[in-house]
Amino acid sequence: MSENLQDAATPLDGLFERAIMDLGIPPCPGILDRFMAEAGKDEPDYKRLVGIIGADVALSASLIKTANSPYFGMRQRVRSVNEALAILGLKASSRAVAGIILRNAFPHVLNLERFWDASARIARVSGWLAQQLLIAGLLAEDAYTFGLFRDCGIPVLLGRFARYGETLAAANQDSVLGFTEIEEMQLPTNHAMVGCILAQSWWLPEEICLAIRNHHDVTALESAEFELPMLSRRLIATSQFAEHIVQRQLGLSLTEEWSKLGMVCLRLLEIDEARLEDLYVKAVPIVSAAE
Amino acid sequence: MQSAGRLVADAHASGRPLSAIWVDLDRFGQVNESFGHPGGDEVLENLAARFRERVNGRVITSRVGGDEFVFLVPDCNRTEALRLASELAATVEEPLPVSNLILRPTASVGVAVCEAGEPPVSLLERADRAMLAAKNRGGNTVVCSGDEPVPGRLGIMLAREELAIENLLHAALENGGFCLNYQPIIRADGNVEAVEALMRCSVNGGDIPPAKFIPVAEKTGLVVRLGEWSLLQGAMYARRLQDAGCGTKVAINVSRAQLGSSKFSHALNAALICSNVRPELVELELTESLFMDISEIVQNNLKNVIASGVSLAIDDFGTGYSCLASLKDIPARKLKLDRAFVTVLPEDQRALSVVRAMTRLGHDLGMTIVAEGCEKMEQIDVLLDAGVNAIQGFFYARPMPEEAMLSWLNTRNTYE
Repeated sequence: MSENLQDAATPLDGLFERAIMDLGIPPCPGILDRFMAEAGKDEPDYKRLVGIIGADVALSASLIKTANSPYFGMRQRVRSVNEALAILGLKASSRAVAGIILRNAFPHVLNLERFWDASARIARVSGWLAQQLLIAGLLAEDAYTFGLFRDCGIPVLLGRFARYGETLAAANQDSVLGFTEIEEMQLPTNHAMVGCILAQSWWLPEEICLAIRNHHDVTALESAEFELPMLSRRLIATSQFAEHIVQRQLGLSLTEEWSKLGMVCLRLLEIDEARLEDLYVKAVPIVSAAE
Repeated sequence: MQSAGRLVADAHASGRPLSAIWVDLDRFGQVNESFGHPGGDEVLENLAARFRERVNGRVITSRVGGDEFVFLVPDCNRTEALRLASELAATVEEPLPVSNLILRPTASVGVAVCEAGEPPVSLLERADRAMLAAKNRGGNTVVCSGDEPVPGRLGIMLAREELAIENLLHAALENGGFCLNYQPIIRADGNVEAVEALMRCSVNGGDIPPAKFIPVAEKTGLVVRLGEWSLLQGAMYARRLQDAGCGTKVAINVSRAQLGSSKFSHALNAALICSNVRPELVELELTESLFMDISEIVQNNLKNVIASGVSLAIDDFGTGYSCLASLKDIPARKLKLDRAFVTVLPEDQRALSVVRAMTRLGHDLGMTIVAEGCEKMEQIDVLLDAGVNAIQGFFYARPMPEEAMLSWLNTRNTYE
């Protein structure tokens, strides 16, 4: 650990620890190891540290929540981990992260390997897709943030309901019923609603919160009467498309979401067949790099 | 219209204000139908004479339609124009004898103040539109141009003041300007029954009172988002009190828009799951009219609240349209008497009789009775004597931020 990261505790440390404890989602141990390896160097590369933190749901969410807390009194709330780090300061943030890693002050640890991998990958490919698509209003940073947090309700539910893993498997394989409909047969809520109220409590923009809430809802995506902002619809479409690209390339267990939502998503993103093939090809190195 | 053009040109040249007032009689067609056109003309002539008496010679008065009058008033700003418009409306309302009967007509009045360089036609059109907005509000009222409802950010029609508040609400949402304060509810034995979460909103350092922002939040649907945020914050705070060893219940207000949503119980359960709080430490406060709502969605939501282990309280009881027959079926464990009964105590003996009766009724139904708005010891004495179980009000504590509430509870526990 470099000297810089051993300074005395600041209010940021306390706020950050509260945020991560309230969140109830453990950070990915692999990411924590990478973070500590970099932070422990005599001269840590802060740019690398930002990349490491930004790939983890729990660390990113807690830093955004901390930056948006009244303590910092920002007039404009932050909407991505990059903005949060700019407000809080890289050194101070890294110190706060290192502090809780050293004290092992995390919520109960679950094996969330699949969730950690998928959220980081989908965030990265979503951000890249937004850059490729060049749709007005659809920012790469928002697409990244949404991709990272879209499924943050899942680890919360895994931590509370012992058999939620089976529910998830059933929802992933059902080609007729909506994902959240399957969840609601077993639970008094669903992961999209849990994710949405968490995102609201971090003061993420309304469009991102609404996108999290409706990301499995085909009616919300395509109905003109449903009051879902166009940005929310396009964020959902981008992340569904990103997930499809990742699953297609890596040959991972395919979910049924693309068969249910794919056509609507491509329409929302104005992607025709030729463009689709082009994006599949261009995405190859991006998906590989996200590994 | 020649004269109107001259007055407007004079106003532009001198920079002095000029106002147009458009008066339209409400339901004048019925007067014509009942009394025939001669009767209708008699009414109009009478009113014209009254108007002439009311305004001085510098005002141009014209009858522009069958039952419409327009006044162009020089040297008259918005405040003065609104005052004159109200006086003209009051003039219309004075009893009017027609064919041995007394009529009490009313009018819809629109006001517009001439803007720099504005042509006369535009000024008159704005006054006419303001009059129509007054008519659309049910008549018998005055509306100033610019105050007519316009679509807000979420497409809902809002008056100018409401629009300004809606903008502030969005600014508060975007800048984390909302927080919950907490006010304790104290039992007769001195223990804390619960703390009620009360939403506060501030933008750019200025507070917006709940009485102002809640009606606009309800009208625009933002109340659902704010309500869900309150559910999670309140539940998180209950968890914090649970962890701190206080174990005090947190009461959270729920609006009609929330309870009327098919997603309400999903949101409540999501808040309980995220906070991981014991559900019995959360209570939802609903006004009595919500319990009386027999729609399937509301009734299902109420059942789901009970199934989740969260308790219900009837808020502001006694001032709405209480249906005693339905009270026996309400699944609430707590009844909060409206502050209107408390503020008049101990002097108002009749109010005290009603409090005693409601308390007895609530007890017979197995409910805990809370009195809100207590500011004086004498009020608490008579309320406890009447059988009320717990007291909320400034006498014990004002609403306070999270940390202050926690310290208050800790200090209290130390001395108990």
